[in-house]
Amino acid sequence: MTGLLLLTLRELRARKVVIGLFVIATIVWVALALALQLDVVDGSLAGARLFGEDAINDEAYNAEGVLVDAEGNVVLNDDGEPRRLNDQYPFGSTLLESFVFGAQAFVSGAAYWVGILLALFATGGLVASLTERGQVDVLLTKPLSRSAVLAGRLGGVWLVMLGLVVYLFGAVWLVMSLKSGLWNPRFLLAIPVVFSMFAVMYGVIALVGVWSGSGPLSLMSTLALLFVSLVLAIPELPNQVSQTWRPLVEGAYHVLPKFGNVGVEVVPQLATGQPVAGAYALASSLAFGAICYLAAFILFARKDY
Amino acid sequence: MTDLALQTSSLAKTYGSRQPVHALRPLDLEVARGEVFGLLGPNGAGKTTLVKLLLGLVRPTEGTASVLGAPITEAAARQRAGYLPEGHRFPPFLTARQTLDLLARMAGVSAADRDSRAPRLLDLVRLGGAANRKTGGFSKGMLQRLGIAQALMNSPEIVFLDEPTDGVDPVGRREIRDLIEGLRDDGVTVFLNSHLLSEVERICSRVAILKDGAVVRDGTVDDLTRQGRAWRLVSTPLPAALAARLGDALAPEAETLPGGLVRSLVTVPDRPALNALLDALRAEAVEVEAVEPARQSLEDLFVEVVTADAP
Repeated sequence: MTGLLLLTLRELRARKVVIGLFVIATIVWVALALALQLDVVDGSLAGARLFGEDAINDEAYNAEGVLVDAEGNVVLNDDGEPRRLNDQYPFGSTLLESFVFGAQAFVSGAAYWVGILLALFATGGLVASLTERGQVDVLLTKPLSRSAVLAGRLGGVWLVMLGLVVYLFGAVWLVMSLKSGLWNPRFLLAIPVVFSMFAVMYGVIALVGVWSGSGPLSLMSTLALLFVSLVLAIPELPNQVSQTWRPLVEGAYHVLPKFGNVGVEVVPQLATGQPVAGAYALASSLAFGAICYLAAFILFARKDY
Repeated sequence: MTDLALQTSSLAKTYGSRQPVHALRPLDLEVARGEVFGLLGPNGAGKTTLVKLLLGLVRPTEGTASVLGAPITEAAARQRAGYLPEGHRFPPFLTARQTLDLLARMAGVSAADRDSRAPRLLDLVRLGGAANRKTGGFSKGMLQRLGIAQALMNSPEIVFLDEPTDGVDPVGRREIRDLIEGLRDDGVTVFLNSHLLSEVERICSRVAILKDGAVVRDGTVDDLTRQGRAWRLVSTPLPAALAARLGDALAPEAETLPGGLVRSLVTVPDRPALNALLDALRAEAVEVEAVEPARQSLEDLFVEVVTADAP
């Protein structure tokens, strides 16, 4: 299996798009390191500049330190009181926490929504290429079980993607922590979540790739499923369909991976320290992924090549 | 240890259920260790299906088979087997040396053995100078030779070669033929699947001809190509009276050879009859230069078999 793992790693390296993903991740944390200037005084954020521009919109607060909107109207908090500077922040209990947590939530969100899509594009053809005539003949006639062959291929993809996520999140976390002095370990919990959801979606690629032998079809199927899961994540959807279709919609919601729910209910909450509401979405998505992989392994073991 | 390199018992493969295609009909086949076995047949006869069954790429519909004593359903059957598939593809981003190293690693070859065998095999297939070149830039002949090298990296006891000379120039073909003969001399069993009948005729000790998924001929090349009790007789011209006496036993056309000799085809029922004929020739002062069993080429036999009606 080690041989196939190495082969996959070399194939990923040969595909420049994977290197491109690492370059993008590097640009993100280097840009953050060079362009973000934080002025922290006694543990409080006195100022923040991104590419030389103020990153905190002081103008949103009037002279009394009350938050106002673009028309100059006072913004109220949940209790109907004017929202004040250092009173209530979207993330965290201080302006510094809010800024750091917010920036980390933005990075984790971008990594989740954009990064996973790019990673799927970069690696989508690898399972199908394994089953191509001429290559599969050589590999399957080695004294390896078919499970080991497929596991070597999937393991290689997982390893690289896990490395990419750890690299991006770790570097961003270090940069933000060193600059702000605020260490937010919960941000790192987004690593397993983002990687797990990539692995779940890759399970679909594995299954369709083994079944059809077509890289484009496996990628398109995965993207289609991802789109469907986003539609199914709309809370009002069951009430907007007829009674006949409602059980199907609700059933599909529970069965299919909940990419949208995890992206909204889990990933940002981990970065901002808020309670995670999407545990079911994550768990049921993992179950779906596990079933996809199981089916892919069974199919690969039984198929004629 | 069994003396058989491979053995099949009613091994069959049928694709589909609604409109079944019998790619291989129940086949009983034995190949001895150290034998160079040739599998012949027209396109779609079931040759590749048989090889894939033996190597576990395809699951049998019925029957059993073993390679080097291990059931084909187990990975152990491939432990000491090498395989050169037809139309193989190697990762174009790897060098020849890396390709051999990775594939041998998958075959369970130790690092020390990989390091020692790879350069030797690359030299053997004339790729020593291209060891560090990426295979993406290789010609078809170079890829074919690299394929042969990878099939030998695990020092196999049996090698399956599917069209090994495909895309290889005449010099390369001869080298591959020499290589196969070298394997045979080392006691390696070779299972050769080729369309180049002259090549098979030269190398193989035994052949089987597949047609429509069934073996229609099986035997040594000598036995299969021998034309019954016909003999080729090289002698001085036969007197007309003797020729008339021989009647149907003498083929009407005789080939004139240099030195005043002719080559005739005579058919006699058995050895005593052949000796009686020779006595008659001598009695008529005919000088005999040579008598040898008449043979048809493997190609002629192949065409005759595959164009004949179904068995």
